[in-house]
Amino acid sequence: MPQKDQLVSALQKIVGKANVIQGPKKLKDCAVDGLVPKAIVCPKNEKEISKVMAIANANKMTVVPRGSGTKMAAGGIPRKVDLVLSLSKLNRVVDYDKANLSLSVQAGITLAALQKKLGAGRKGNFLPLDPPFTEKATIGGIVATNSSGPKRYIYGTARDMLLGIKAVSPDGDIVSFGGKTMKNVSGYDMTKLMIGTWGGLGIITEITTKLLPLPEASATLLLSFGDLEAAGKYIRKIIHSSLLPSAVELINGAAADRLGEKSKYLLALSLEGVVEAVARQITEISESSKKEGAKGVKVLKGTKEKAFWVRVRDLGSDLAKKYGSPVILKSNFVISKHVELMARCEKITEAAGVRAAFICHAGNGILHTYILDKPGAGAKLKGLIELIGKLTLEAVKDEGNLVVESCPPEMKEKISVWGQPRHDQILMRRLKEKMDPAGILNPGRFVGGI
Amino acid sequence: MEKEKMVKELNRLIGKESVLGTDMQIQLYEYDASLIRSKPDCIVLPTSTEQVSKVVKFAHDNGIRVIARGAGTNLSGGSISLQGGIAIVLTRMNNILELDIENQRVVVQPGVITLNLKNFLAKHGYLYQPDPASEKASTLGGNIGENSGGPHCLKYGVTSNHVLGGELVLYNGEVVQIGGKALDNPGYDLSGVFVGSEGTLGIMTKAILRIMPKAEAVKTMMCIFNSIEEGGDTVSAIIADGIIPATLEMMDNLTIKAVEEAYNMGLPKDAAAILIIELDGLSDGMERLTNRILDICKKHHVREIRVAKDQAERDKIWAGRKGAFGAVGRLRPNYMVNDGTVPRTKLPETLAKVIAIGKKYNLPIANVFHAGDGNLHPLILFDERDADELKRVHAAANEILKVCADMGGTISGEHGIGVEKIHGMQLICSSQDLASMRNVKVAFDPDGTYNPGKVLPELQKTA
Ligand SMILES: Cc1cc2nc3c(=O)[nH]c(=O)nc-3n(C[C@H](O)[C@H](O)[C@H](O)COP(=O)(O)OP(=O)(O)OC[C@H]3O[C@@H](n4cnc5c(N)ncnc54)[C@H](O)[C@@H]3O)c2cc1C
Repeated sequence: MPQKDQLVSALQKIVGKANVIQGPKKLKDCAVDGLVPKAIVCPKNEKEISKVMAIANANKMTVVPRGSGTKMAAGGIPRKVDLVLSLSKLNRVVDYDKANLSLSVQAGITLAALQKKLGAGRKGNFLPLDPPFTEKATIGGIVATNSSGPKRYIYGTARDMLLGIKAVSPDGDIVSFGGKTMKNVSGYDMTKLMIGTWGGLGIITEITTKLLPLPEASATLLLSFGDLEAAGKYIRKIIHSSLLPSAVELINGAAADRLGEKSKYLLALSLEGVVEAVARQITEISESSKKEGAKGVKVLKGTKEKAFWVRVRDLGSDLAKKYGSPVILKSNFVISKHVELMARCEKITEAAGVRAAFICHAGNGILHTYILDKPGAGAKLKGLIELIGKLTLEAVKDEGNLVVESCPPEMKEKISVWGQPRHDQILMRRLKEKMDPAGILNPGRFVGGI
Repeated sequence: MEKEKMVKELNRLIGKESVLGTDMQIQLYEYDASLIRSKPDCIVLPTSTEQVSKVVKFAHDNGIRVIARGAGTNLSGGSISLQGGIAIVLTRMNNILELDIENQRVVVQPGVITLNLKNFLAKHGYLYQPDPASEKASTLGGNIGENSGGPHCLKYGVTSNHVLGGELVLYNGEVVQIGGKALDNPGYDLSGVFVGSEGTLGIMTKAILRIMPKAEAVKTMMCIFNSIEEGGDTVSAIIADGIIPATLEMMDNLTIKAVEEAYNMGLPKDAAAILIIELDGLSDGMERLTNRILDICKKHHVREIRVAKDQAERDKIWAGRKGAFGAVGRLRPNYMVNDGTVPRTKLPETLAKVIAIGKKYNLPIANVFHAGDGNLHPLILFDERDADELKRVHAAANEILKVCADMGGTISGEHGIGVEKIHGMQLICSSQDLASMRNVKVAFDPDGTYNPGKVLPELQKTA
C-alpha cells in the first residue's frame, strides 16, 4: 500500500481537498466497532465514487460505505477499515415521474426529506417504507440493509417496491440494473440481489422505485389485551380474514409503556385506504375485538396517529441516543408463532433478570427485542450473551433465526451477530468472491464473515 | 460422451423408465413456444430431488450440458437445448408437498401446473396470485424460471414477489436450501436473483410460495373504445389519477375479432380496443372507485361499459383474455410475441409506433397486453414457410425492441430473454452491467453446465 499522504493526495485529486476528511474527531465519529478509518471521502457523484473505488481496489484498501450512520453498530466486526465513503453528497431526486408513479433518487437523500417532497400537492404519493430512524435514515442505507417497518404487512419491503438500482462495483465499474418499468426480466434481477447486501457487493448510488398514491384516509386502532393467548387468537382471525390492515403490531407492556400507552399487551392495527373501508374496519374491529377479549379500544387519527407510529419505529433509536450501542435483536420466524415466540422470549428474558421491550410485526413473523438495560460489562455482558444464545435457539425452533441489530463491540467478539449459520452460505460466499474478489467492501461485516 | 453411453449410464443411475433417448422421443422436446428448434441428446424425467442431483452430478463430471424444462411453453427459447446434452423434464415432480395455511405458505415441486395449484388453494379459500395466461399448461418451475407475470401482477407483483425460498440443485449436483417459510432470513436474497434466471443458475426442485386469503369483493368490467389511442390514454390516465386496480388489460381490434370468432362471447367485432379492469379488496368504497374509473373512461369517449354481474360472467371475460394468444394463433400459421415493456406514461406513444412498424413491414400485428404495467405483447402474425415474410418478422421484432428501449423501457417484461432476445441485451445493458451479471452466473455455475447460450450474450474481451 502507498504511504498515507500519497493516498490522501490521490483521493483529494478526485473529490477535492475539502471532501477528504482527516480531522481526528470526525474520523473517530465514523469508527466502525472501534476501528478508526484513515480518511472519510465524500464524493459528489458516481464518477468520483468510481475513481475512488478503482484506487481502493488496486491498493486493497477496504471501504465502508456510509449513509447517515444509523446502522454502523450493526454487522460483524470489520476485518479492516481504511476508508469510509460517505454518500451524503449524493442526495438529488433524479426523476420523479408522477404520472408513472415512479421515482429515481440518489442514495444519500433521507427518506423523511423524500416523503415530504412526494406528499406535497393535491394528489400526493409516497414510498411505502417505514423503517427505524424516521428522520435520519437515508434511502441508500435503508435499501442496503433491507430495513423495514410495521407497514410492510400490506406494502411489502424494498424487494417488492424497487424497480432498479445503480451502483459502483468494487473495481469501480458503474453499473445500472432495472429501470422505470413495472416489470423487467431482461437479465438477472440484480436489483433484488443488491438489496440487503450491506454494501458488500457494490456501493448503491441510486434507486428507482414504484410509488403509491397517498391513502385517502387512515386510522389506527389500539386494542389492549390482558393476556397473550387472547391477543394471539385475535391476530390469527385478522390475518386470515379479508380485512386489510396495513400493520399488525403486537407490543408488550414494557414497550407500550415507552410509547406512552398503558396495556399489558397492545395490538396496534393501522388502517389505510378509501374512506369507506377505513370506517368500516374501525367499527368491525372495535366490535369483534371486544368479543374476543380486548379490554380497551382506542382510535388514533391525525397527528396523534402519526406520532404513535414514529414512536414505534424509533424505539431503538431512542435507546441508541441513551446508550450508544444498545442491544437490539431481530428474530424472524414463521408467522403463526407470533405470540408463542414472544411468550417464550419474554419468559427467558425475565428469568435472566433482564428488562426488555418487545415489538412484533405479527403478520410478518418478525420480533424486535429491545434490551432496556445498559449493556454494561463483566458478568452483566456475559449474561446478555447467554441470553442472546437462548433467544436464537427459540427463533431457530420456529424456522427462523436471530440477528443482533445493535450491540457494543466487546459483545460482538463473543457472539455471531447473524445468528446460526445457514445452508445457503456457500452460495453467498461464492457471490462475494466473484463480485468483490479483493474483498474490499465492508469485509467481515456480513453473514458468515463475508 | 456418445449418446448411447449417456443413455446407458442414465438408465443405470435413475432407471430406464425415467430416460428417453429415441429420435422420436427427442423430437418431442426440440421446441418450446418460440420459433427456435434444437435437440437435446437425451431426456430424463426424474421423480425426486435425489434423481435430479444424480443426473446433474453425472453430467457435470462428464462435461455434459444440462437444461431444466417444465411444460416448454416459454416464448423465448429458454427450454431449447442449444448444445445438446441432457434435458431434465420436471413434469413428473408434480406434488403439492405441503399446504401450510397457518403460515400462509405452500410448498410445491416444480412440475406442479400453475392452475392446479390455484384450484387446489381455492378449495381452502386461499390464492396464489401470479396468473400467467398459460396457467393451464405452465409449471411453477417454469414460472420461476421466467419470473412470469399475469393480469393480477399489476397489484400483487410478479412470481418473484411470491417465491420465498426453496431447494436448488447446484451445478455439481449439490443440493442447497435457500430462503424459507420465514421472511428476512439473514444473507443475500438468493431467491430474488434465482427467480427469472431461466434455468441458467441451477434447478429448483422445491419452491416455498406465499399464499393469501381471497378478497372479499371483486368487480370486473369491460370498457369498449372506438379508438386504440383513447384506450391507451385511459390506462395512463387511471394510473396518473392514483388508482391501481387489480388488473388493467387491453386488447386491440384484431385480438377482439379473433377472440370473438374463437369463443363467441358477444364482443363487438368493430371495437378498436377493450380494457378489462378488475378491482378487488373490501366492498366498501368500491362503488365510488368504480365511478372514478368510469368517469375517466367517459372523458376518453368510452363507447360502452359492461360490468360482470357474477362469477360466471367474470370467468367468461377472463377466458377470452387468457385464450387470446390461442385465438390469434388461429389467424395465421405462426405468431411471434414481443414482450417489450415501457414506463406506463409512454404506452400510447409506444403503441402508435408498434402499429406503424406493422404497416412498414406489411405484417398484421395483434395487441393484447398488460397495459397497467406498460407491458406490451404485440403478436406478429406470419407464415414461417415464407422466407421473405420471416425476414420481415425478425426485422419488425427488432425494431419493436429498439422502440421500447428508446422509450426508457426494456426488451422483456415477463417472457424472458432466452435465445430469442439475447442480441437485444446490449440495447439495455452496458458491458459493465453484463459483466456483473456474468459474475453471478459464474458464482452459481462455474463450469457453465446449465442452459448454455441463454440470457447473457458473450462479451467482447476488453483489454
Ligand atoms: C399461449 C401462451 C400464453 C402465455 N401467457 C403468459 C403470460 O400471461 N405471462 C407470462 O409471464 N408468460 C406467459 N407465457 C409464457 C410461458 O407460459 C411462461 O414463461 C411459463 O412460465 C413457462 O412455464 P413452463 O413450465 O412451460 O416452462 P418452460 O418453458 O419449460 O421453461 C421455462 C424456463 O424455465 C427454466 N426452468 C423450468 N423449470 C425449472 C426449474 N425447476 N428450475 C429452474 N429453471 C427451470 C427452463 O430452463 C426455461 O429456461 C405464455 C405462453 C403461451 C404459449
